[in-house]
Amino acid sequence: MVCIRRATVDDLLAMQACNLMCLPENYQMKYYLYHILSWPQLLYVAEDYNGRIVGYVLAKMEEESNECHGHITSLAVLRTHRKLGLATKLMTAAQAAMEQVYGAEYVSLHVRRSNRAAFNLYTETLGYQINDVEAKYYADGEDAYDMRKNLKGKQIHHHASHGHHHHHHGGGCCSGDAKVVETTQAEDAKATSSK
Amino acid sequence: MASKFGLAGGIPERRVRPIWDAIDSRQFKNALKLLTSLLSKYPKSPYALALKALIHERMGKPDEALAVCLDAKDLLYKDDSSLMDDLTLSTLQIVFQRLDHLDLATSCYAHACGRFPNNLELMMGLFNCYVREYSFVKQQQTAIKMYKLAGEERFLLWAVCSIQLQVLCDKSGEKLLLLAEGLLKKHIASHSMHEPEALMVYISLLEQQSKYNDALEVLSGNLGSLLVIEVDKLRIQGRLLARARDYSAAVDVYKKVLELSPDDWECFLQYLGCLFEDDSMWKFFDDIDQIHPTKHIECKFSHLTEEMFDSRISSASELVQKLQRDTENSNLRGPHLAEIEIEKRKFLFGKKNDRELLKSLLQYFLKFGHLACYASDVEAFLQVLPPHKKAEFVGMLVKNSDSVSASATIELGQTTTILKVQELTGNIFELPLGEIEASAVKLAKLYCQNLPLSKDLDPQESMFGEELLSLISNMLVQLFWRTRHFGYLAEAIMVLELGLTIRGHVWQYKILLLHIYSYIGALPLAFERYKALDVKNILTETVSHHILHQMLESPMWVDLSNLLQDYLKFMDDHLKESADLTFLAYRHRNYSKVIEFVLFKERLQQSNQYEAARVEASLLQLKQNADSIEEEERVLENLKSGVQFVDLSKEMGSRTLRFNEDMQTRPWWTPCPEKNYLLGSFEEFSYCPKENVNKDREENVRRAIQRKSLVPRMIYLSIQCSATALKESVETNGSGGDVKTCGELKSLLEEYTKMLGSSFSDAVGMITEISQGARTSESLGSDLVDWLNFAVFWNAWSLSSQEHWHVLNLLFERLILDRIKSMGSSDMSSCYSDVQVLVQIITEPLGWHCLVIQACTRSSLPTGKKKKKAQHSDHLPSSPMTQAVKDSIHSLCSTVQEVSTWLTNQINNPEDAQVEKFLSTLKRNEDAGGPGHVLWVLESFIASSEESEVGSRIFEALKTWSKADSTRKTVTAQQKLLREFLQICESKRELLEKLKQQMTHV
Repeated sequence: MVCIRRATVDDLLAMQACNLMCLPENYQMKYYLYHILSWPQLLYVAEDYNGRIVGYVLAKMEEESNECHGHITSLAVLRTHRKLGLATKLMTAAQAAMEQVYGAEYVSLHVRRSNRAAFNLYTETLGYQINDVEAKYYADGEDAYDMRKNLKGKQIHHHASHGHHHHHHGGGCCSGDAKVVETTQAEDAKATSSK
Repeated sequence: MASKFGLAGGIPERRVRPIWDAIDSRQFKNALKLLTSLLSKYPKSPYALALKALIHERMGKPDEALAVCLDAKDLLYKDDSSLMDDLTLSTLQIVFQRLDHLDLATSCYAHACGRFPNNLELMMGLFNCYVREYSFVKQQQTAIKMYKLAGEERFLLWAVCSIQLQVLCDKSGEKLLLLAEGLLKKHIASHSMHEPEALMVYISLLEQQSKYNDALEVLSGNLGSLLVIEVDKLRIQGRLLARARDYSAAVDVYKKVLELSPDDWECFLQYLGCLFEDDSMWKFFDDIDQIHPTKHIECKFSHLTEEMFDSRISSASELVQKLQRDTENSNLRGPHLAEIEIEKRKFLFGKKNDRELLKSLLQYFLKFGHLACYASDVEAFLQVLPPHKKAEFVGMLVKNSDSVSASATIELGQTTTILKVQELTGNIFELPLGEIEASAVKLAKLYCQNLPLSKDLDPQESMFGEELLSLISNMLVQLFWRTRHFGYLAEAIMVLELGLTIRGHVWQYKILLLHIYSYIGALPLAFERYKALDVKNILTETVSHHILHQMLESPMWVDLSNLLQDYLKFMDDHLKESADLTFLAYRHRNYSKVIEFVLFKERLQQSNQYEAARVEASLLQLKQNADSIEEEERVLENLKSGVQFVDLSKEMGSRTLRFNEDMQTRPWWTPCPEKNYLLGSFEEFSYCPKENVNKDREENVRRAIQRKSLVPRMIYLSIQCSATALKESVETNGSGGDVKTCGELKSLLEEYTKMLGSSFSDAVGMITEISQGARTSESLGSDLVDWLNFAVFWNAWSLSSQEHWHVLNLLFERLILDRIKSMGSSDMSSCYSDVQVLVQIITEPLGWHCLVIQACTRSSLPTGKKKKKAQHSDHLPSSPMTQAVKDSIHSLCSTVQEVSTWLTNQINNPEDAQVEKFLSTLKRNEDAGGPGHVLWVLESFIASSEESEVGSRIFEALKTWSKADSTRKTVTAQQKLLREFLQICESKRELLEKLKQQMTHV
């Protein structure tokens, strides 16, 4: 369907092809899988009219503190499909699912200091605010803005929140089993290394 | 982890934690030290032993690790009082898994579960083991036990998933689904259902059994409230109604979805499908075997009368108009594209509304034509038009874009779009040369004019007019193809390299360049451009087709080996480890993802490229070691003498092959790896859209894999036959080789010729006639190398026939020398395809034949090398076969020498002269057409551009541009490839000289 739909595992092939065409990411395949198998409700793709995946958002839930919150791991839209509002739609869909399915209270993300286009999208269109600056967050030494947006936080389903009772190797609804975490060497891995 | 430690295996946590910490921080020696002291206190603790095994494994000592693991296992089994906690077992499990002994891990857990039948944690561990082994039946049994024990919904769903997997993957009877349905129903009756994913499983279960109405009932009942996102629920409802053929109800639901989400294209197509009571779309949506499944579908109208069609299409029109009105102020393309879809359906129904169809496409252009996505949006609509209508449409676009005086960016976007439509419709191939050239020049000017627009863009943003350079280069390649004037190709390279200088990340430039470089034999540079794409992870599966094929036919063995190893490592690792992730989905109760993920693993496992790469990686090793029979025998031993590949070849016939490659990113002249239009003439060309490339490929790819899989075994058998042949021929004058080996070789040869589309005797006839010159080598077509392989193994099978040796010698001579003659003194850029064939002949069939000779020679020498000199007086008497071997060596020697000479001549051609020659093709003739004009436009702009105009980043980049540097890189790359090939030839020649020496003693 065009526009925005939930990602399937098969979409991974085309999603990663987006990386060839947008920004190269250092996420391993396992990291994508880890997301889609853990929080499939939070992964959306933008599929164009001819069936091509032209953008996606990768997100997850975190429970570092008492506040259950969502985190946007990655957002990509093909260069040929920018300025069509797809990024906004992808973000809105993921945020809505965080709120409605997992009862998230707020959503966070990191953005490069130099990425003005993205920064503007997050602040002006989507209403994010700078929460903190993380010095040298990225592998190449660039700083990141730690940004947040409050959600209404109405918990509808407790589906995820009892997930952590049966975890083998501890952690909240956000941590995977030890093996997965161990191999997660993504740019954004800091947040997931909650072993 | 803290809570889990406690007293694992009776050891306090404080003693264990430092060891885990050391392992996690990869300080294995330290870990081992700590462990040794732990073991002194707890020598009989299975947990301590498991940790020891883990450390050994991490340190790269698999044998020690396995031994320790087995000790731990024995202790577990023996010691009745031993604590069979999950931590011990899961640690053992990790090690066993890494040692490829999943079965042992499973048996440990199974044993533990037998001892403590009510321990849920252990059962979960056991379930996990079965997940890793893909044992769906056992999974199901374990999950049911857990469900009975704990009564939890999730365990029941684990069992249901396991049942679905049996049906989907093991093709178990669908009766099982009924069982699953019964279990769920019973559970719902007593406990209801609490998770949305569980509901999805229930519905899919009913759907799998075509119980659409039952599913609808569930969805509209209480359980339906589990789905919180309204549109999601409606979509499912629409689908179920459609599949239940309740079309009018489905239409209403889809209408609702469209009102909520007017840009939902798939929903619109389903809406139309239901409106026309056409179920063909389901077949289509189910077809997932493409990385980008197309969403434009064939339509079935035959069951509709004209009145029915009219009334339904008009209600669709009404809806679309409403959607357009509702979304007037947003930028949605969907409702406008829907209008075109309606015109398309009318057209396909036979309404002769081509005017309206074109008009709707034009309207869409006026609204969205400046967007980069216009061309791909309308691609499928254009395909239904006859060629002259396509041309008419292009004309309409040109006319209308001129009349619009809009902003620079809109004009730029529209111009780019028109060119893309021309490419898409094939219209561009019908234009006269002059027009294409003029158009390319115009685009180059446009590119320059618009560079200032990109002045302030971030480096990662795409530039205005970025696509123009790709379009120009496509035109130049076409001009080259039609005129065979190399200057155009050189110009295409320059345009793209210049583009990369300005914007280093543009992947299209890199891909186009890599294909042009591949075509002119500058393969090392092509490989560099490929590497710049940063292809990794799953992209190795979807993108490496751009380079793999060329590399396989090249002498760049080291790079090829890395390429294959990286790819195979990714795939093997994924296939090995993906089950760990499956369990993640179980634990997070994402049941539908469990199913998807297991099917995804199958999809990768069945990848055609994966199968092919496995065979090619082995063949590469065989090629690399073919100059030493001892080394080769070692390689063959590791390959189990090629037996597994023979099995693969046999299985291949019935195996499902999946095609995960993303072919859409390939340039027009090579829509798939096996095709390159530039190798043929323009006249023979008929433009075909890129769709369906994979359909034609399937049979060819399958047969190629089948054929290649036989080669390792045939090499092995040939060596076996040869090893005894010479001796026997001398001693008994018999036919040589032991009967069993020869028999197997013969049957493989028969298999092989069958795959070449011939019978054994016809194949022999064919190669004999070619060797005699009664037929030309063209009759072998593109399978030339395979035919030569056949000839080599056929000779090995019948070594005692001098005539066969003779045929083979002549065959090599003819095929190689003909090619060298035709290449003459032309340079690499124009004859690389011949070089490619030569590389394959020398490294494959000729290499294998040299192995046969090595085997013969070795057997003729009475004892080991040391005694060779002392004993050559008592060598075997000469026989006709010895003579045949000698003749063959002699013949091959001089043939290979010819190749070496040709290569040396090429290499000796001074680099400067080659650079000069290359650059001279780019000189423009001011008064006439021809290459060079585009580059002149671009370079004039560079010369006159100012920093204030284009911004410092672009300005600095432009300053670094040098045409001569790019040329030199190309020439150097060509030379490098030639030198690698020469090295291979020289090594073959040295080998043959050595053999010649040895044979003088026989």
